[in-house]
Amino acid sequence: MDGTFAKLAVIGSSAVLILGLVLLWRRRSNAHIAAFSAQSVALAATIALVGHFTGDGQLYTVAAILLLLKGVAIPVLLRRMERQFGAQRELEPYVNTATSLLLGGLLVLLAYVVTRPLVTLSQLPTRAGMPLAMGLIFVSLFVIISRKKALTQVIGFLVLENGIALLAVLGTYGIPLILELGVFLDALMGFLVMQIFVYQIHETFESIDVDQLKGLRK
Amino acid sequence: MTTGTPLSGTLLGGSLLGLAQAGLALALAPGVVGLIRWLKARLQNRLGAPWWQPYLDLRKLFSKEVIVSPNASWLFRAAPFVIFASTAAIAFLVPMLAVPSPLDTVGDLIVVVYLLLLGTFFLALAGLDPGSAFGGMGASREMTVAALAEPTIALAVFALALSAGSTNLGQIAARTMADPAAALGPGHVLAFGALFIVALAETGRLPVDNPSTHLELTMIHEAMVLEYSGRYLALIEWAAALKLLLFFALLGNLFVPWGLATRVTPAALALAVAVLSAKLVVLAAAVALFETRIAKLRLFRVPELLSVSFVLALLAITSSFLWR
Repeated sequence: MDGTFAKLAVIGSSAVLILGLVLLWRRRSNAHIAAFSAQSVALAATIALVGHFTGDGQLYTVAAILLLLKGVAIPVLLRRMERQFGAQRELEPYVNTATSLLLGGLLVLLAYVVTRPLVTLSQLPTRAGMPLAMGLIFVSLFVIISRKKALTQVIGFLVLENGIALLAVLGTYGIPLILELGVFLDALMGFLVMQIFVYQIHETFESIDVDQLKGLRK
Repeated sequence: MTTGTPLSGTLLGGSLLGLAQAGLALALAPGVVGLIRWLKARLQNRLGAPWWQPYLDLRKLFSKEVIVSPNASWLFRAAPFVIFASTAAIAFLVPMLAVPSPLDTVGDLIVVVYLLLLGTFFLALAGLDPGSAFGGMGASREMTVAALAEPTIALAVFALALSAGSTNLGQIAARTMADPAAALGPGHVLAFGALFIVALAETGRLPVDNPSTHLELTMIHEAMVLEYSGRYLALIEWAAALKLLLFFALLGNLFVPWGLATRVTPAALALAVAVLSAKLVVLAAAVALFETRIAKLRLFRVPELLSVSFVLALLAITSSFLWR
């Protein structure tokens, strides 16, 4: 029973991590959005799985809200933004794609090293997935600092949120529902604020390449 | 594990089984390539040549005259034999019909990776030898792909070797058979993904190389064999088909080993042959479907695809390391 649970939890977290790595590989925004949407679905499934095996009914609610908010609503908003800015690709990120992928792999290894004390301490069957969640957090931070397009950075932030949610659910079987609701509200507000920022950047520079923010505009 | 005649009990019996396995691989290889071509044609609403067409092509090529460029050295004549022999040698080592495979003591995963590289190396040399511009271009591209793909093959299979505790291919398959739950573990799934991408790259399929064109700007494999004709070309094409089949056998039997015979009885072996053919058909259909759905990558984006597969293999290794 515990063995199956552990295995399924690791498979779920691996899927979430792999979908996060897609951000480093693909260049088009719609691929990023699709990956984020699929990742949120995988995360919701993992949370529901933990809920099923621990008999914690609240986790189902969390999974359902996550599915609606991050799996459907935010991707719809992201697609709308993408349409307005036209099909701009991530042409020249600060770190090229092949190197980013290798760095992404190394970051996951680093996450294994960093979380080793945590994993040995934990008794939960889900502990094997914790390094993967930490790896996703590192990878999404890397996406935020290495990509030039504001939209990609916003998606990176949302994936970071997913990583933190995954770590919470694997490490402690989820935080109380009321806190979770607060986090969702924060994420939504953060996203809306960032959306306004992105629109402003686009208005001023007619591009969402944040590299242009470095220079003064006449 | 089971009662009945233990495999490779006698060296003679083991060798006979090894020979039978290699013979079967050689016989099936052109059929698999033909099947992929036929399926692709059907998917593109074309009639397509029948699946046995590659056999006819090979017969035709073997009876044709060989034309060799006056600039070519002995290397050009020797390379087809080296390529064919090194690929055929792998056919003895990959578990195809039975585990523990009959010639397990002869070579393991590391030998297989080096034999693959040996064939690639000689093919590249043969491409350079006659001094044609296309050959050099193809050879340089092939080496770029191989340098990125070969470590990934080793890494992906090492991920399995780590969880099985042996680099022996037969042992790895036997271990997965004994512990079916491991086949669904993330290590296995990731390693399968990595090996699938590398198999496409190594055997010159889309999205790395287009096997059905001679478009000068894109070809890799075809550019290297452009100067070959007659039986030399037949040997190289046969070896290429065999390489594809061997990758399919690795994918099918290391990750989903059920159906392999664990003892030598006619019934078990017949079942093993049937299951192997079924696996080959499924993988061929998957490749045909995949190739119809995607376009070829620009050459400079190929390293990105291969680093994806490298990262997958790296993650597979990490997770199977943790799993122990």
